[in-house]
Amino acid sequence: MKKARSRMRNVLILVLILAISFGAVILLQELCSTQVLAPMIYVLAVFLVSLTTRGYVWGIVASLLSVLAVNFAFTFPFFEFNFSMPENLVSALAMLFVAVTTSTLTTRIKNQERMRAESEKEKVRANLLRAISHDLRTPLTSIYGSCSTILENYDLLSREQKQKLLREMREDSEWLIRMVENLLSVTRIDGERVSVVKTPTVLEELIDAVLLKFKKRYPQQPVEVEIPDRFISIPMDAMLIEQVLTNLLENAVFHAKGMTRLSLRVFTAGSRAVFEIADNGCGIPHERLEALLKGYGEKGALPTDRSKHNMGIGLSVCAAIIKAHGGELQVESSVNQGTVIRFSLEMEDTESEQ
Amino acid sequence: MSNNKYKILIIEDEANIRSFVKMILDTNGYQVLTAETCAQGTAMFLSHTPDLVILDLGLPDQDGQEFIRTVRTDSIVPIIVLSARTAEQDKIAALDLGANDYIAKPFGTGELMARVRAALRNSRHSAASGALPGGTFTAGGLVIDYDRRQVCVDGREVKLTQTEYNIVALLSEHSGKVLTYAAIARVIWGGPDPGSTKKLQVNMANIRKKFGSRPGENPYILNELGVGYRMIDGE
Repeated sequence: MKKARSRMRNVLILVLILAISFGAVILLQELCSTQVLAPMIYVLAVFLVSLTTRGYVWGIVASLLSVLAVNFAFTFPFFEFNFSMPENLVSALAMLFVAVTTSTLTTRIKNQERMRAESEKEKVRANLLRAISHDLRTPLTSIYGSCSTILENYDLLSREQKQKLLREMREDSEWLIRMVENLLSVTRIDGERVSVVKTPTVLEELIDAVLLKFKKRYPQQPVEVEIPDRFISIPMDAMLIEQVLTNLLENAVFHAKGMTRLSLRVFTAGSRAVFEIADNGCGIPHERLEALLKGYGEKGALPTDRSKHNMGIGLSVCAAIIKAHGGELQVESSVNQGTVIRFSLEMEDTESEQ
Repeated sequence: MSNNKYKILIIEDEANIRSFVKMILDTNGYQVLTAETCAQGTAMFLSHTPDLVILDLGLPDQDGQEFIRTVRTDSIVPIIVLSARTAEQDKIAALDLGANDYIAKPFGTGELMARVRAALRNSRHSAASGALPGGTFTAGGLVIDYDRRQVCVDGREVKLTQTEYNIVALLSEHSGKVLTYAAIARVIWGGPDPGSTKKLQVNMANIRKKFGSRPGENPYILNELGVGYRMIDGE
């Protein structure tokens, strides 16, 4: 699919540039009544084709076609092929040479760029991994310790003590599960130029799934919901967007101290659906917000209070997922007033089918 | 021990998962058989004819789908698939091959027991009632009268179009079981053409509206995002 598209693109570039050159040469011949310019223009064309296409093939094809064009149309004898004249052969070789060297150079530069991007990606990933393994260690230590305590002191501990330890183990495991879900999402989106696999998803069904899961985890926390009445279908990786919405709602529960209202609103703006999660809790201080959105990219930006439910990773993962869907996660927060998090996704055009 | 317990076969290669699933089933009064590989599972299945199979898809010797394929040639035993969270395609493939349900890892024991009970109840149901639907279906406030093609929610009749009724009736005949988009489209429109999932989703949106369902309060037909729909268990 992608390969076919890139080939189409290359063919287009090739045809376009050669056509323009042909036109230019004809025009110049009319204007200046000289044939000297034809080979020059075609050398330029070959150079441009090699520069803008990928690999050697297109440059070489362009040079061969140019040689034929110059030979056929613009050198004596006109509109006839003639390979016996040595100057034609020399110009052919020169063009081939230009094509091959330009392609070699551009390919090398492109490779270098890719390698640099790759190493950048690796660095981000390594940072993320380091931070995550640190965060995994905390609940694991507690689970491991609690189990061992129960097993080794089974008869010494009271029933209540054992139940307390077991409950904490379950809490920590649940936290680990969420952490792993986030990790899976990170592996699903792969760096900056990610292509998530999008399938049309019915908005109402998505919100239903999110709320169902959320209610199961936090039955005490009501969510005000408002979505458009009409049928809306949005191409997305439903599992990832579901995770974004769940993370954002959960973040509010964990961090928005003093929150009395939590709302999830979706409305349409042009061809996009805007998702908005708002709470009226304690808000996020400005300097912390940046660190949260960046996630664990920089070590200095890490929040110092390492509470167990530090979901900072959640927010940066959300931002990455939304970015991969061609949107942007916007956070507006004012201390003691609350936080509004917003993002928008392109909708599928369903008007014609309705 | 009494012999009228339901026999459940667990095919799972992870020893710890096998062990806790076995323990929870044991304590709930089921007779439990275990197998670690696809081959062992198939052998156990043939010699013990269990009433239900809990199957992990990622087995060391073969994909769990091979087991479903083998068993489904001449058995309607309910199969519950354990699957990883991210693998929608595996879920869909397993369901289309004839698995009755799936449950994503990691899962809670409460969730697992609910699925086991539903699957067993369903198989007993379909074995008794046969292929021809008749009479009524009741689940909570939802009542479907198959003979009169009438659907009531909380005592109020719901006017459905023919297609909508067919979808609701189909889901109710397989209540508790996930039906994939393609499986539903095959029955309703005779084949999953490219637009059929969208058609189904639009119909389903209308059904929800007529049922008075709202996001998060959608008690009768559950969404399995990206996979299909499931009607809650009948009574």
